Amino acid sequence: MIEVAESYLSGSLPEADLKELNSRLASDVSFANEFHECVNLVRSLEGNGKQKRFRAMLRDVHEKQNAVPVKKTRLINFTPQSWRTAAVAASVAILTSTITIWSLKPSIKKTDSQYSTISREVEHIKRVQAGQQAEQNKLRDIISKNTKAAPPSDVRYTGTGFALTNDGYFVTAYHVIGSDFDSVYIQTHDGQYYKAFLLNYSKENDIAILKVEKKNFHFGKGELPYTFASSKVGLGAHIFTLGYPKEDLVYSEGYISSKNGYQGNEQQYTLQLPAGHGQSGSPVVDENGDILGLLTAISSQAEANTYAVSSKAMISLLHTSTANDISSHLPKVNRLGKLSGAEQVEKMEAYTFSVKVYKK
Amino acid sequence: MQSPVNNEHHLLAALAAGDRTATEQIYQQHFKIVNGWLIKNGGTSADAADVFQEAMVVLFGKAENEDFRLTCSIGTYLFAVSKRLWYKKLQRQSRDPVSLKYDTEGEEDEYGVAHEEDINVHHEREVHYEQLNTALDQIGEPCRSLLKAFYHNDKSMQEIAADFGYTNPENAKTQKYKCLTRLRKLFYGVQAK
Repeated sequence: MIEVAESYLSGSLPEADLKELNSRLASDVSFANEFHECVNLVRSLEGNGKQKRFRAMLRDVHEKQNAVPVKKTRLINFTPQSWRTAAVAASVAILTSTITIWSLKPSIKKTDSQYSTISREVEHIKRVQAGQQAEQNKLRDIISKNTKAAPPSDVRYTGTGFALTNDGYFVTAYHVIGSDFDSVYIQTHDGQYYKAFLLNYSKENDIAILKVEKKNFHFGKGELPYTFASSKVGLGAHIFTLGYPKEDLVYSEGYISSKNGYQGNEQQYTLQLPAGHGQSGSPVVDENGDILGLLTAISSQAEANTYAVSSKAMISLLHTSTANDISSHLPKVNRLGKLSGAEQVEKMEAYTFSVKVYKK
Repeated sequence: MQSPVNNEHHLLAALAAGDRTATEQIYQQHFKIVNGWLIKNGGTSADAADVFQEAMVVLFGKAENEDFRLTCSIGTYLFAVSKRLWYKKLQRQSRDPVSLKYDTEGEEDEYGVAHEEDINVHHEREVHYEQLNTALDQIGEPCRSLLKAFYHNDKSMQEIAADFGYTNPENAKTQKYKCLTRLRKLFYGVQAK
């Protein structure tokens, strides 16, 4: 019957069939009701789709017409070949400044946590650098010198992750995990450690999907309070993020400063948002409580642009992953929209956690 | 050049067809005014974009209707609807009576009631679409992705057959009808509740 309703709507029903249909509609009330249900359904589906595409076009038109000329980014100075090159440069800048402060104040006794911070960054640079060859020789020299300066401590990377479903699926940035990890743990806001395993990842988009090993695990009491934006939102949207650059959860806020990410990467956003190491993989949330993406990189230490992978890229990775059922289990009801900023953060706390990766 | 009235008529027809150039033109001409007004009335540029786009969708919904006639210019219409939408939004956000004073302003709203009606129709439609999407989300795979690909992303049966691994478009079509039948049960079930 739906097929008939469809051709009826599009006007492609042959005249004879149309006549027959009309006479049956006139005589058979229950058939007429059912038929109208079908017609309405198809019409609504088409209308909804049309409206969705129109809205997407509007957002795009808006962005094109109201694109704020973005301040000249300091990335240009590096003329980097790739995202990774920029990351190396940025990390070197941070590292150098850290080292400088350290060597300027040699009398101050360093605490362990400061040491591990440095080693974390060094490790990060080393990994990024692994992919770079001759072109990076100069930088590598600097890095290897600095590596000697930093004491080798228990090597691990930390990042932030957040829940995709309440029963243990979560997402973080791929570079937090890397390719040579031994084991991954998450530490939830109440201090508990849970072991996790890698399900799927996209190196290109810097997304990793993992799951907590423990059976019957739940992040929080109820379903996730947030939802995932399925398309990209426009410039200027106010956003916040929650992450673990240190042992405690840190809140920061900013806005979307450019539609695309590094070198026009359409899978990313450019953000004006202060972020540091350990915050990779943090959720980027808008005022309505929609997840827009996850943090992936920063461009330099001062006046930093921060980049986030869009939730759209995350969702499409979910669709392509073998664990096909995750995408249909994503939260559908948003319980953050009407809450104040502080309340939103409180609700999200249980679903945001630190990710700790131990190397082989 | 065509006369302005004629021009607007064509513009609306093009808008209803989802034409990008027409949309761009309308946007270009009228967004600035709404933006300026909204910022003076306690909004941000982001709010202005939201409100104006919503007003455009209201207009789009109306323009799709064949016997649609606009009783004023596109600009006037969009501005009036944007204002209404913004007031409504403020009202929802705060129960503070001070922010409600605009209701007594009277303003130039001789079409106010008609706009109110348009916005109500628009909201009803939004609720309806929302329910439809809920049903779509509950229907399960592959129906959810297939129907979304066809209706939301405007993919052809050929593309869908290729994306979803059906041997030919005919098979994909059969699956689509099965999905629609399921969706119908689910959707009218949801509505009846």
